[in-house]
Amino acid sequence: MSGRSDREERREERPRAEERTGADERRQRLIKIGSAAVFLAIVAVAVLIVVSDGSGGGDASSVEGAADVNKLLGQIPQKELVLGEPSAKVAVVEFGDLQCPVCKGYSEEVLPPVIESRVRGGEATLEFRNYTIIGPESIPAGAAAVAAGRQGRGWEFVELFYRNQGAEDSGYVTDEFLTAIAEGAGVPDIARWNVDREDKAVVREVEETTAEARNLGFEGTPSFAVEGPGTKGLEPIGTPGSIGALEEAISNAR
Amino acid sequence: MKLPREGTLRGIATFLATFGVGVATYITIADSGGGAPVCVAGGHGCQTVAESSYSHVLGVNIAVFGIVGYVLLVVCSFLRGDAARMAGFLISLAGFGYSVYLTYLEVFKIEAICQWCVASAVLMTLLFLTNATRMLGYVGREP
Repeated sequence: MSGRSDREERREERPRAEERTGADERRQRLIKIGSAAVFLAIVAVAVLIVVSDGSGGGDASSVEGAADVNKLLGQIPQKELVLGEPSAKVAVVEFGDLQCPVCKGYSEEVLPPVIESRVRGGEATLEFRNYTIIGPESIPAGAAAVAAGRQGRGWEFVELFYRNQGAEDSGYVTDEFLTAIAEGAGVPDIARWNVDREDKAVVREVEETTAEARNLGFEGTPSFAVEGPGTKGLEPIGTPGSIGALEEAISNAR
Repeated sequence: MKLPREGTLRGIATFLATFGVGVATYITIADSGGGAPVCVAGGHGCQTVAESSYSHVLGVNIAVFGIVGYVLLVVCSFLRGDAARMAGFLISLAGFGYSVYLTYLEVFKIEAICQWCVASAVLMTLLFLTNATRMLGYVGREP
């Protein structure tokens, strides 16, 4: 009697045991899949980091001053290479060469207080126009700035270029360098920027502003001109020697 | 250590993912208005990160991908069974991996920290831990 009962119990237990074994195997298999996914994720993140380190030829991590530039220009509207409220009464135009070390000095020391006091408040706009007098590398650099301006990041590009400027015509203005500056400046569509900076219209604009600067009688960079209710058209003011001189020119143009 | 009940893990995942939807939605709305998320703690980190070229992929703000990920994690936390356990684990794993990459970009490439991105990275890390515990503890077992 007892022997038969044991046999029946064993017979009933067998399917349950098989079911448990099946569930355990399934569980082991799914955990293996999960482990493989973790391994793949680690590889994917490592690849992403390595690729981004050397991507696009440009290395935005080698670009210095992006945070300072963003702080300087943050929340100020800009269109193409014009910084400031379009309704401002006075327009200040800087004719500069991105390779010019004096322009770099102006960009870092003279312009920030003027941007803060006159441009941010909506009193004046500040426009960058290329005056490519240093050498051949100034032209692709200027065109790259104009192309960045088409995506609303022109001033970030100009300011960041100055902060990472190399020796004049030393060969540093490469595609890699320009791409790093554009990425650091936050140009949203690098592919479009690459097309735009080769655009004939963009290169022509650089040549035209250079010709305009010569027509205004400028012989060096940076040179400034102002226009407002107090001026007769765009009036050249040359190279103001100080922050005060530039601010005075703005006040006189009002 | 006693494993939390699966219902508890699902509840935690629902809470975290819903919170994540809120954070990612705020970043997306701030960006679509032409601005940047406001750093509650002050500073320019959020603006610097939002204005960097890394904030968009193929013209789409990466926070949009965050919304999609968090919504899928909410759905996984509502559902029972192995498919939901595995999907929740894999989606949170992808989100966690991407958050690690984005944090790397913030620290080493953009050189600015956005507290909203940090909040999202912390949420995604907790979601990964929750979903990994759910998967390891309950996969292959009765719903």
